[in-house]
Amino acid sequence: MSDKPRVAFFDFSSCEGCQLQVINLEEALLDVLALVDIVEFREAMKESSEEYDIAIIEGSITRPMDVERIKKIRERASILIAMGACAYLGGIQRMGNKWTPEENKEEVYARHPGSETTKGDDNPFFEQPRHRAVDEIVKVDAVIPGCPIDSDEFAKVLVALLTGKKLPIPDYPVCVECKKNENICQFEIGGFCMGPVARAGCGAPCPTHGGECEACRGYVDHPHSQAHDEVLKKYGLTAEQIMNRKTMYTYRYIEEARGE
Amino acid sequence: MKIISKEDFSSFVNALIQDDGLDVEGVKAKGNKFVFGPLDSAGELRLDYDVTILPPKKYFLPQYETMMHFDISTGTVTAPPITNKKVIIGIHPYDLAAIQQMDKYFFDTHVDDIYLQKRKNSILVGIVPVNASETAFYGDLAKASGGPADIAFDLMLTDLGNNYAVLPGSQIGAELLAKANVRDAQPQEMEAVKGAQLHAMDKASRGLKVGPKGWHALLTRNYDSGIWSEQAEKCLSCGSCTLVCPTCFCYDVTDELNLDLTSGVRQRTWDGCLLRDFTKVAPGEVFREDIKDRYRHRFNRKGKYLPDALGFVACVGCGRCSSQCVPDIADPLNLFNMLSESTTESVPDADVQHVPEKHDLAQTIGADLYVPRPATLRRVVKLTEKETLFEIALDDGQPLGHQPGQFVEVSIMGVGEAPISVSSAPGGNTFQIVVRNIGDVTSALHAKKEGDKIGIRGPFGNGFDTAVLKGKNLLFIGGGLGIVPMRSLINYVLDNRQDFGKVMILYGCKDPTELLFNEEVKKWEARDDVIMHKTVDTCAEGETWDGQIGVITTIMPLVTFDPMNTYAIVVGPPIMYRFVNRDLLSMGMPEQNIIVSLERRMKCGVGKCGHCQINGIYVCKEGPVFNYKDVKEHPEAFS
Ligand SMILES: Cc1cc2nc3c(=O)[nH]c(=O)nc-3n(C[C@H](O)[C@H](O)[C@H](O)COP(=O)(O)OP(=O)(O)OC[C@H]3O[C@@H](n4cnc5c(N)ncnc54)[C@H](O)[C@@H]3O)c2cc1C
Ligand code: SF4
Ligand code: SF4
Ligand code: SF4
Ligand code: SF4
Ligand code: SF4
Ligand code: FES
Repeated sequence: MSDKPRVAFFDFSSCEGCQLQVINLEEALLDVLALVDIVEFREAMKESSEEYDIAIIEGSITRPMDVERIKKIRERASILIAMGACAYLGGIQRMGNKWTPEENKEEVYARHPGSETTKGDDNPFFEQPRHRAVDEIVKVDAVIPGCPIDSDEFAKVLVALLTGKKLPIPDYPVCVECKKNENICQFEIGGFCMGPVARAGCGAPCPTHGGECEACRGYVDHPHSQAHDEVLKKYGLTAEQIMNRKTMYTYRYIEEARGE
Repeated sequence: MKIISKEDFSSFVNALIQDDGLDVEGVKAKGNKFVFGPLDSAGELRLDYDVTILPPKKYFLPQYETMMHFDISTGTVTAPPITNKKVIIGIHPYDLAAIQQMDKYFFDTHVDDIYLQKRKNSILVGIVPVNASETAFYGDLAKASGGPADIAFDLMLTDLGNNYAVLPGSQIGAELLAKANVRDAQPQEMEAVKGAQLHAMDKASRGLKVGPKGWHALLTRNYDSGIWSEQAEKCLSCGSCTLVCPTCFCYDVTDELNLDLTSGVRQRTWDGCLLRDFTKVAPGEVFREDIKDRYRHRFNRKGKYLPDALGFVACVGCGRCSSQCVPDIADPLNLFNMLSESTTESVPDADVQHVPEKHDLAQTIGADLYVPRPATLRRVVKLTEKETLFEIALDDGQPLGHQPGQFVEVSIMGVGEAPISVSSAPGGNTFQIVVRNIGDVTSALHAKKEGDKIGIRGPFGNGFDTAVLKGKNLLFIGGGLGIVPMRSLINYVLDNRQDFGKVMILYGCKDPTELLFNEEVKKWEARDDVIMHKTVDTCAEGETWDGQIGVITTIMPLVTFDPMNTYAIVVGPPIMYRFVNRDLLSMGMPEQNIIVSLERRMKCGVGKCGHCQINGIYVCKEGPVFNYKDVKEHPEAFS
């Protein structure tokens, strides 16, 4: 046992893509391991531990059993980090909150050929309540946004935590990094981009590789959403299409605005 | 003027590319747009381009630029390696004009040596534009300024069909050209070059109603116009208009610490005044919180602030901002046309140029502007819960040499820098600062102990003008941390007591636990040549307090003075100025007798990063100490 901080990873409703990004640190992972002891990390190793200083949570909190589990983890961790869009915002799956749990169950388990028999009624794993971000259930000390997270940013957050500095997560929009990369703006080539309201820090990989930003990192603290809606409208999106854009990763904000 | 066939020009460029000592950059296609980038062969060049997405400023102030490497374990700071000489091919005249503006800006007062090194290391090859983007209006600007500006280049090309005309603009350009297969230009070819220039101007003319010299008056008249908020309602606050602009130079500075927790880099990266956090300071206050204020600031900076400060209009009409602004509200031509429509009076010309005079790079010398001097903490004294006094000695044994009211940049490698006032009076081989633990740098400083090393840059800024204060009565009014910079002057005055009239000190803070310099305050109180009153906003039950209770303005009536022969020195949180100054004025004090010290977000401390602007003034350079009469002309000063 060393006196390095002990870090444990836990996954909830997620694709585990973020944990993969941590493993993708490759050589830098060794540098990370020089700083912290990883005690629970299903993706990378089997050993489990009940003691840890930093809990890193991946995934949204979805079922009643998840709520209990995250509360227990919180009790045992001095620092709790929400890692990735699922944990930070509720993830893509949060779109499911647009419908009632019953509707979702019907859609997912009943209406598809072959699944008629497994309506999942009695199975707790099939329960489809609401998707929530971690901080809607327990206190979160730090977030690493993104879907998936950026390996470098993971390292930076760790450095900041270990040296007692503010998290290096910017509060300006993706356009800033996009412009620095000298990209052709999506709006100029027929795209519709969430970049003007999305939180930067990812380095704008999506527009840099010719795609639209979907705001997987959530919004900046003060998004000028109304002006952004006007732009989307000006470039030809219907109100419904605009709404769809805003539910991909950011349905959380819509629910919050409605007071749900 | 010389003529070179396009074929020979390609061979010339290819030969440059083959030269290992040179990096050759030029305009290339990117999708249906253009960018400056490294050339693999002359064939990639697209000299018929209209405009590049980013201007060539990226070569002199890169998007991300390493300022220095550091290693905390050894305390070493090293400069980034010097890069190859760069040849940049295909710069349009408006971008060359912008580089000339950039020179003026980065060499003014403090020479930015990092910028200088990159500038000296580059060879600029310009070209008269063959095509213009839809949003360009450099033609309008040239016409309004009576023709093309006198701009610096090493070589200037003009496309004449099968050939290029080439004009060397410098010794370096001429030497470079000597390697090419050229002949002298014929008179008709020289005519053709003039024709091409006129054609380029015409193509980039969109009907600007008031020329750039008139923008100053338009902006002054329309400062409170409703146009700003109308437009800003559509603004995304995305910053694109500033980032793509060849004449926007603001940058942020961050320390990037590696995973080994010892090595890393201090780097600067483009920032912009349209972004909300541009003016954000540690307790969370944002000085330009309203998008309208940020939107208005950008145009004022271009048409009024930089003209006032440096004598040129900071827009070269490239049209990048308007093409990159998705809601289409960033176009200076549209904006100034709108402003001109709102006024029926004639618009007077300001005394400004479109482009400043050429800069003599060879004569420009710069030394480590950003590298902190090593220093040692000699004494660390905790004053209150959050504030600690640090006594510092520079490791080279030199005194700091500051004036009362100046500040230093305290540097902690791996964390960052923070502007901090010098709190001690001038003189001696050490100096003192008092720091509130509030964020990254300040808390890292608080974690240090006697004997530890830090870095210091400065002293910077304008301090108190002690010559003006001589022989006068002095009324010090300090609120909260305001007493910290004020103390440097108070102690200077007390060290030279016979030079000054009556000395009155009013000091207020939140509650007795926040009172700074307890012992010193007692001494001031005990002196019979000092009148001292102190007050707290509130005093908790059981707390001992021998001063007044109430905000600072409640103790102002306790002193009497002849307002005409008294100077008030007022330093405190932003909110305090409004009330204290109002009361001083109503007591009959002339505006020019009020001296204030103002605080804004700062990064560089030397007038480059742009964060500390109050309208057109740079607090780090022109302040932090200001005469109220001068500074109140700037609406952002006390708003
Ligand atoms: C001319 C001047 C004199 C000052 N004198 C003192 C002093 O004597 N004692 C003292 O305790 N404080 C002083 N301050 C305030 C002090 O600079 C900030 O509290 C400090 O920069 C916070 O840095 P941080 O890294 O701890 O905070 P963070 O919130 O981590 O700030 C990050 C960076 O933003 C900038 N910044 C943040 N807040 C401010 C601010 N208020 N002013 C300027 N830049 C800021 C700095 O570059 C800082 O490093 C002064 C400020 C100015 C402008
Ligand atoms: S945030 Fe994205 S990548 Fe990470 S776990 Fe969720 S779905 Fe996967
Ligand atoms: S592509 Fe998207 S992120 Fe990039 S500048 Fe355009 S809107 Fe902003
Ligand atoms: S560009 Fe947008 S969608 Fe892509 S990673 Fe960044 S925030 Fe996510
Ligand atoms: S303000 Fe706009 S048009 Fe003027 S130089 Fe900057 S980007 Fe070009
Ligand atoms: S004016 Fe346009 S480009 Fe500039 S910040 Fe606003 S929306 Fe972005
Ligand atoms: S310009 Fe950088 S702090 Fe003033």
